[in-house]
Amino acid sequence: MAAPRDVFIVCNNTDGMGGLQRWAHHMARLMAGRGDRVTLVGITRGPESYHHGRDGSYAVEVLHEEWRPPAMAWRPKRLRQRIDVRARGRDLWRAMAQRRGAARLSELFAAAGPGSVVIVGQVWAMEWVRLADTSGLRVVGMSHESFAATRASSRYRRVKEHYADVDRMLVLTAEDADAWARDGMTNVDYIPNALHVTPSVHPTLDLPVVACVGRLSYEKGVDMMLEAWERVAARRPGWRLHVYGGGPDENQLREWVDAAGLSGSVEFRGVVADVEEALVEASVFALPSRAEGFPMSVLEAMAYGLPTVAFDCAPGVRTLIEDGRGGVLVEPGDVAAFAAELDRLMGDPELRRAVGAEARASVLRFHPDAVLARWDRLFDLLHRTLRPAGEPVRDMPKRPVPATAACTTDGTAEGAMEGAADGAAEGEAGRTAARVPGPADGPAAERAAEPAPGG
Amino acid sequence: MRPDVSVVVIAYNDARRLPRAAASSLGQSLGSVETVIVDDASTDGTAEAADRLAAAHPGRVRAVHLPSNSGGCGRPRNTGIEASTGRYVMFLDSDDLLDRHACLNLLGTAEDTGADIVSGRCDRVLLDRPRDAKGRVRPWYPRLYERRAVYGSLSENPDLLYDTLSTNKAYRRGFLEEQGLRFVEELYYEDLLFTAEAYLAAGCTALIPHRVYTWLVREPAAAPSISNRRAELANFADRLEIHRRIDMLFALRGAHDLRRAKDVKFINHDLLLYMRELRGRDRDYQAAFLDLAAGYVAELDPRAFEEANPLSAIAAYLAREGDHAGALAAAEYVPGSRPELRARLVERDGRVFWGAGRPRRTLGRRILDVTGLGFHQRPLKELCPGNTVTRLEMRAGRVRMAGDVLNPLNRIPADAELSGTLEFCDRRRPSRRARVRAAVRHEGDRLAWRAEFDPASRIRPIGFIDPVWDVRLRLRVDGEDVVTRPGAGRGSPPLDGVLLPVRPRLTRLAADRLRSRVSGRGQLAFVLEAGSPGARLTGAVVRRAAVSPAGRAARRRAGRLVRRVRRTLTSRGTKIVVFNRVLSRLPVRTGLVVFESHMGKQYSDNPKYIHRELRRSGRPVRAVWSYASSPKGFPGDARLVRRGSWAYFLALARAEFWVDNQGYPDRLRKRRETTYIQTWHGSAFKLMGVDQPRLKSAPAAERARLRRMVERFDCFLVRSGHDVETLCRGLGVRSELLPAGYPRNDPLVNGVDGDPELAAEVADLRDSLGLDDGRRAVLYAPTFATGPGGRPVGVLEPPIDPEVFARELGERFVLLIRPHYLCRADLPPGARAVMRDAGAVSDVTPLLLLADALITDHSSIMFDFALLDRPIILHLPDGKDLTPGYFDLAPHAPGPITRTEEELVAALAGLDEAEPLHAGRRRAFAARFGEHDRGTAARTVADRYFPPARPQRHRGNRNGRTA
Repeated sequence: MAAPRDVFIVCNNTDGMGGLQRWAHHMARLMAGRGDRVTLVGITRGPESYHHGRDGSYAVEVLHEEWRPPAMAWRPKRLRQRIDVRARGRDLWRAMAQRRGAARLSELFAAAGPGSVVIVGQVWAMEWVRLADTSGLRVVGMSHESFAATRASSRYRRVKEHYADVDRMLVLTAEDADAWARDGMTNVDYIPNALHVTPSVHPTLDLPVVACVGRLSYEKGVDMMLEAWERVAARRPGWRLHVYGGGPDENQLREWVDAAGLSGSVEFRGVVADVEEALVEASVFALPSRAEGFPMSVLEAMAYGLPTVAFDCAPGVRTLIEDGRGGVLVEPGDVAAFAAELDRLMGDPELRRAVGAEARASVLRFHPDAVLARWDRLFDLLHRTLRPAGEPVRDMPKRPVPATAACTTDGTAEGAMEGAADGAAEGEAGRTAARVPGPADGPAAERAAEPAPGG
Repeated sequence: MRPDVSVVVIAYNDARRLPRAAASSLGQSLGSVETVIVDDASTDGTAEAADRLAAAHPGRVRAVHLPSNSGGCGRPRNTGIEASTGRYVMFLDSDDLLDRHACLNLLGTAEDTGADIVSGRCDRVLLDRPRDAKGRVRPWYPRLYERRAVYGSLSENPDLLYDTLSTNKAYRRGFLEEQGLRFVEELYYEDLLFTAEAYLAAGCTALIPHRVYTWLVREPAAAPSISNRRAELANFADRLEIHRRIDMLFALRGAHDLRRAKDVKFINHDLLLYMRELRGRDRDYQAAFLDLAAGYVAELDPRAFEEANPLSAIAAYLAREGDHAGALAAAEYVPGSRPELRARLVERDGRVFWGAGRPRRTLGRRILDVTGLGFHQRPLKELCPGNTVTRLEMRAGRVRMAGDVLNPLNRIPADAELSGTLEFCDRRRPSRRARVRAAVRHEGDRLAWRAEFDPASRIRPIGFIDPVWDVRLRLRVDGEDVVTRPGAGRGSPPLDGVLLPVRPRLTRLAADRLRSRVSGRGQLAFVLEAGSPGARLTGAVVRRAAVSPAGRAARRRAGRLVRRVRRTLTSRGTKIVVFNRVLSRLPVRTGLVVFESHMGKQYSDNPKYIHRELRRSGRPVRAVWSYASSPKGFPGDARLVRRGSWAYFLALARAEFWVDNQGYPDRLRKRRETTYIQTWHGSAFKLMGVDQPRLKSAPAAERARLRRMVERFDCFLVRSGHDVETLCRGLGVRSELLPAGYPRNDPLVNGVDGDPELAAEVADLRDSLGLDDGRRAVLYAPTFATGPGGRPVGVLEPPIDPEVFARELGERFVLLIRPHYLCRADLPPGARAVMRDAGAVSDVTPLLLLADALITDHSSIMFDFALLDRPIILHLPDGKDLTPGYFDLAPHAPGPITRTEEELVAALAGLDEAEPLHAGRRRAFAARFGEHDRGTAARTVADRYFPPARPQRHRGNRNGRTA
């Protein structure tokens, strides 16, 4: 690289098991791999200390070893809340702690050379970056979930507030970017996540197995998967459904399977250590989610050449399975159609091979080289200037990245599939930090305002 | 280094705002932007301001001065193009703003797509509206900017022609040079021609949904800007000239389709824009203007009329034909915004036409046909008939007012019972009003009204806080309220400046008279003003105090507080909290029953028949019925409460019984002492509850909501095992299932012989529908069709063309059209001979009783009608039966299934012949789905839950919650 940049990637934490952390380490490796000086900054320590295959090519910093103040800033609404001295005290404590963290951040930033960029992965982390001194740097804020998901959560207000002034706000798909633009965020653009696996073997697509990977929770829709399976299983004896992942609904789902008499064909395989193992022995991939951001599990399945059946639940899914290439999209909630599409693929090996080959070709759009080229283009735009004649012009040529250097993924480090690439990573981080001293403040209290049903 | 983008800022006599515009260009997030300010020989220091900016930002801002004023925007912009060097060029007016990321977004897209033009959204901001007011920000043709798009040529999306602004776009300089694109300099509306030429020449046009440009609009200022000077005829002539040049351009390129697209845009946009401003101008001006317009409209491709929006086309067509009144009325009629109907309508050959005259030629008939707008069948109050003031004068301390209200299509019969009230309402708080009686007389195609009163005693403004008073005439026609807005029109005397003396509550020092004036929409209003020197003085002092910073802040704060208090007090959330915490702790009133049918929309269905049974058997209950909008049609012996009102919540809280067929408001906690009898509104063919894909894929909160609502039920009526397996499972009902059948179906099983009240109701209905000519009545009652977005399609067309029906079946059958209660039927007046609209009938049971056959699709009405053992035809055009349901319709259908209009006609024609074929299956169907319908449903419910008709009431365990 002619002029290596300093790149800071700031997240809520860097060592959690979530998809967001995996993305951050992957980005850091990719950028460091071609010469940028990358620093990965976590605001706090994560709940677990997962190493995410860090290879020493980039630095990792943590601002607060422990974050004990309230997770969220205090936003009193009513008079009674406003005169709550304890809450005010806690907020002061939070602000002071935050300032210390921001000062540390400013120190890191001050050492950066010209042309540097700060990439903020989550809106909670943005609060620190806004307080830090970012002069001379360009700040990019990211939202890793769909517009609809943000809109429905408390993050919407915070995104509008904290990302309003960043130089660029990035989401994962064009459709989400357009939604944010309509909503008045004129700094929005999109860059999809990069593919982070390099398959060494591909499934033969002959084994009678359908794979479904995801947390066993309501929004991942495994219940709908099982309903669809109930319709298909009888027609396709010999086929098995492998459900990977764990989660709060596990027992309930297992009971349902037993009650429906499907225990012979449905296997709960728990959290998977190696995604390759799971995908190589399947022939069809199913994504029954109710809500998604940019489902990395589909990206992986496509890279392995598996045909996918998914509910058309989010722009991320539509972007991956664009115009039905590499998979089939079904109207959300239409279990009968989902079952019919599964059945069609299960019954036709040639179709599986054709759709699988499309998937492998289509997924090249998300090859790290292609994605890095978009990032470079963005950095270039952000740093363009009008210089008075005489001053040296430092243009940033777009240099192709050698393909070999781009992907240094080590397969074993890919880690658990649990919560793979879900937009809830943000929520997880929030929960991590939510060691709220008192029960009566913060957004949890806001949400609890609804009266409990009863009578 | 060459700039990426040059922003050309043009300014004329705008020294005050130029720095702000320039700052928005200097503050761009894209670093490589150059700003070129072109001063059009201003006389107010704009030139100096430009020079100062250039001096302050060397290398980034340049100032160019024109030697003499050009009078338009064309020459300054052309000069700016020449004087700038950037690879892309943008334009900015000195009174507007660029978004901070405009250049970055446009440049990024241009480089990614290689487009010659990149265009972003332009927001108009109406500065005269308060900062947080709705409608202050209005995007310019937002439908073009929903999502990013790239077009190879204009013909891929001719709608681009609607966005004729030159300012919200970046142009590749090479493109401008290659095509020799420049603005015309001698005409106004240079934008229109420039953008048309540019779109046409561009090899690639890209659109982004990001706001790039903010157009700050100030309503008529002292020196109106060019676009605000529309009122001038010369200006309009310029616009027409520009359009003629665009036409020439398209003609030269042979782009006839594009030319028509542009003609359509002229009809929909340009012409309408001017015509809407004509009201309030004098007649000569209107005539001169419309003649000018007619000249150009005559040049348009006649097909353009048919592609334009119907009312815009009517306006253009009538302008061409010289019917000025009809044209203006059409231009002002905007469907969807409660428009006023100011035109005359005529009915000919069973269709309704706009305008007074008989429509000539086929084109005229096609364009002026407004049957589809339903003027002949919509409720009168929805029509807002125009009201013209013919007299307004002060004489001897009394006002005399008079006027005419249109009687469209003679909808108001001569023998109607008429009364009128003239209302003066405070515009800020329309609930504050003064009422005066008005005399109303029927005069054929119009209603004449007049009123005379003493304003000083009848109208009592407060003073200062109520500066504007609107006038309305509330007509009562046979018990139905129709609100009209008196205004200026043909035959009006000058309505401006009539003075009514008043005595405000804050004494005459606040103000002492109301001055009449005509608003921009042509409606009469009064402004409170001070006439006497003393009042003028206090007025000035108060105004001064009010506009001072402190006064403004205080007013804002007080306004906010009042709004918040009012919102809190009247919000549903508050009512629900009060219901749960306070009202449900009040003692239960024994025997109080709250009935509701379809969320209060009607007096109908199972709740109605349970109520009748309770009344018939003389049980000691107090009935309360909830109504949604109007108490019309609800029973007189019950207490009526408006759904959502405090009275409604109070009644629900204290009731011993809730009886409904759909659902009481969510989040209301039903107390243990109340028994909730959920009668539901029909057996299910379509998927219900969590069986619907929509709910299956919905967030957990929506399921929780359904569960909350369903868990309140204490009793759920079922008609058959089918209900138990489908409805109850889908909804997740866990209450007692009462296998009683539906009370509404009791008369279908028993007949009306033992029920004189219902027999009279059926006879009345037969009368009002005009069904006494011996023909057989066929009821067409489909369920609603879902349109885009899953919403019900609002209009139901007859299944058979009325002319075909009249020809083939008209002698034997009358078709009763019964739309779903969320829709309305669309029947041309010509269909009256053979079809009737039964949409206004609130209860469907009498309709079923008088119908000799039923046509439906997969509506649950078939399950009920089957009990009558009369023919049923299932009409399922274009694969409607592909909708997933609980069972396969074809093998179980209670009658023949038809797919096309012809098949339906044939099935009706051979109704009796086919009867032996279908009767058996229909009876099996009725037996299967009406298993428990034995004609005793209402009695079963009453016996099970309600106290017997005895003086002593037993309150045994019947109130206990049933699991």
